[in-house]
Amino acid sequence: MALLEVDGLTVEFPGIRALDAVCFDIRPGEVHALVGENGAGKSTLLKVLGGVHRPSSGEVRLAGAAYRPRRPADALAAGIAVIYQEFNLYPDLTVAENVFSGREPCSPVSRGIRYAEINRRTSELFAVLGVGIDPAATVGELTVSEQQLVEICKALSVDGRIIVMDEPTAALSADEVGQLLDVVRRLREEGRSVVYVSHRLDEVFALADRVTVLRDGRHVRTCDIAETDPDRLVRDMVGRDVESVFHRDEVRGGDVVLELTGVSAGRRLRDLSLVVRAGEVVGVGGIAGAGQPELSQLIFGALAADAGTMTLNGAPFSPRNPGDAMARGIGFLHEDRKAAGNLPDLSIRHNLTISVLHRVRGAITRLLAPARETEVFDDYRRRLDVKATGPDQLIGQLSGGNQQKVLLGRALAPGGRLLLLNEPTRGVDIGAKAEIHRLINQLTADGAAVLMVSSDLPELLGVSDRVYVMAGGEIVAHLTGDDRTEENVVACATTGRRVFSEELSTR
Amino acid sequence: MINAGRIWDTWGVTALLLLLLLCTPVIAPGFLDIENLQSVLRESAYVGIVAVGMTFAIASGAFDLSVGGQLALTSVVTLMAFNGGGTAAAVAAAITTGLLCGLVNAGLITQLRVPPFVATLGSLFVFRGIAYLLTQDGPKTLPYEQIEAPFAKIGSLDVAGLPVPFLIMVAVFGAGWVLLRRTAIGRRTLAYGSSPSAARFCGISDTTIRVFVFGLVGLTVGIAALTYITRVWTADGSAQDGFELKVIAAVVLGGTALKGGKGTLIGTFSAVFLVSVLNEVLVSRGVESAYQRIVLGCVLIVALTVDGLRTRFAAPGSFRRASRPTS
Repeated sequence: MALLEVDGLTVEFPGIRALDAVCFDIRPGEVHALVGENGAGKSTLLKVLGGVHRPSSGEVRLAGAAYRPRRPADALAAGIAVIYQEFNLYPDLTVAENVFSGREPCSPVSRGIRYAEINRRTSELFAVLGVGIDPAATVGELTVSEQQLVEICKALSVDGRIIVMDEPTAALSADEVGQLLDVVRRLREEGRSVVYVSHRLDEVFALADRVTVLRDGRHVRTCDIAETDPDRLVRDMVGRDVESVFHRDEVRGGDVVLELTGVSAGRRLRDLSLVVRAGEVVGVGGIAGAGQPELSQLIFGALAADAGTMTLNGAPFSPRNPGDAMARGIGFLHEDRKAAGNLPDLSIRHNLTISVLHRVRGAITRLLAPARETEVFDDYRRRLDVKATGPDQLIGQLSGGNQQKVLLGRALAPGGRLLLLNEPTRGVDIGAKAEIHRLINQLTADGAAVLMVSSDLPELLGVSDRVYVMAGGEIVAHLTGDDRTEENVVACATTGRRVFSEELSTR
Repeated sequence: MINAGRIWDTWGVTALLLLLLLCTPVIAPGFLDIENLQSVLRESAYVGIVAVGMTFAIASGAFDLSVGGQLALTSVVTLMAFNGGGTAAAVAAAITTGLLCGLVNAGLITQLRVPPFVATLGSLFVFRGIAYLLTQDGPKTLPYEQIEAPFAKIGSLDVAGLPVPFLIMVAVFGAGWVLLRRTAIGRRTLAYGSSPSAARFCGISDTTIRVFVFGLVGLTVGIAALTYITRVWTADGSAQDGFELKVIAAVVLGGTALKGGKGTLIGTFSAVFLVSVLNEVLVSRGVESAYQRIVLGCVLIVALTVDGLRTRFAAPGSFRRASRPTS
């Protein structure tokens, strides 16, 4: 019998119906994957379960009784713990304080928090999860994956019967993902139910017992994982056939566009040498924190190099700030769209033209000309197939994929001979992902050079021609041709193995 | 695309102002007399001019709390310059002193990395303190013999029935609108206010924005000082106590978002007059000044509450943003 039943659930916001008569159920002790493109209604469903949104109609039953949380605390009290993508953690408090926040056991006399007790109980919970995190550590100093574990621990501490995770691996590196999957399996062994929302189908197939697909706010299908396969699931999600993993056209590298020789920056980047040629996509992989985004930021002038030399198109290149790099025609895409990509108060047109304001000025007045801005915007909107109601829409109102396309347009606009793309498809639905991959292919066919940092292994290997792997701020591998395998990338990133294809072939 | 919310952001206060003006014949007979109107326009000018600079500051995500001190100091220095060197010296002194004050703030913020709120709170006291030092032997004044000097007339002359300070204010608003809406630096200011970290990766230098914004505030203070002292003819360290709050209130009432990223000069313009018309109405009804302050405070609170409710319930996008879990 089902532990939680969702029956005919409809959620309406002014102007849109986010969920339309959705039905599904969760059984005790199962991992239930919830998949769908961005905008399919997964987050809304989660927020109904978490007591954030209230349904317009329909019913949720928990163990046979009506479940109508009025606020997030009601959901917790009922044993449903929702872990959102943006954590609800206090960065300045300790791990144990976060886990027991609002429910701290107090000494009856002094009313003081019994630290020894919460630290001990937190350690016990971590032991259940099979991880070792110091309960007295400050949460702000933990890695993203450790913070995630703190959230899970918080869910356990209220004895959550149903633990809901929204894209838990979005910001994790490959080995952290493995650890998280183990934790989820332990939760299932403990008899708890897990609702697992993810864009990554390999995780879904590695983990889930059943899967539910949502599309455009409607329930498409719920089935046992054994009854489906990745291709079928992708078709259910997008409603059409999509190549799930992109394979780019064979290219022959042209002139050297960018060359780094022995570049270092403090302790974060050490002695880096690499080459990017016109028409090539060069991938950069590694576990999170190995220095990949810093490498792209250094080339973009956002991080100062303190040793080594860089050349751009054969000429010495030492950008002092991103403005310098943009003036030389370099485009940049940040990996964190929300924090360092979107300009949330500006329209999508202004979000795009911000990188090329000098090109949208009137001939005589030298003032910004709205008509020219619209021209530039429309041009990229067509090329990138941005779906928006108009150029004045705010960027936050677009789906993740369309936001990313606007930001890609911003990166392309300065000239696009060299593009530094960090996680170009993070948090983007499968349809948009394929479009972005096709676009990268197109750009390089037209002669652009692309340096792509990606923690998505199929993307890293499928989209790039050559792959550099980083570990601890150093380049530990350069993989070309048949050496570009997941095994090589993971081994070099995590075990300290070094593989340089050019050395292998000369031997 | 018609978006009621965004139209209200820009024109809401203007609508309120027109509504209030329509009511004045009933609630404050005599308000619409030419002389009274001229006096309202004249008195609003110096708040309005500085509000242009402040709109940029708030749109960039920062406050300038020091404008009161800047105005006092600039006024004192300008009067000293006028008494020493005449009209040209006074105008040059006003602009230079204002700009210098702004650049001091920008320097504190960009070079010493002091947050704008703290830096300008400190410089407010410093600027006022210097103004007190310069006027230890009594307030600086515009001598009565100079009543015919062109400088002295800035504050009192009318052109085609419109007071010169008001015309200067209109010109500053016009220039401000072009700067904000039609120049790269204005767009970058909005981008920076919207998300400083994203702006950095768009090639926007935070030093440039700070210097521009705080320099602009200083410049507007310099211009405002000219209209102010030629109106009151005297200045010392206590001149226009609480000026910064009047200016910030007008900008916020006008619809410029406190968190940065949005700025509306049309709203600021109307808000400056909404406050001064309301004030004038209260004065003409014989309301005590204590009550005037209370009424103005309530108007500000109600306006911002209504605005908060609107952004929470208007567009679907903002609805979801506002209802993110906060527990």
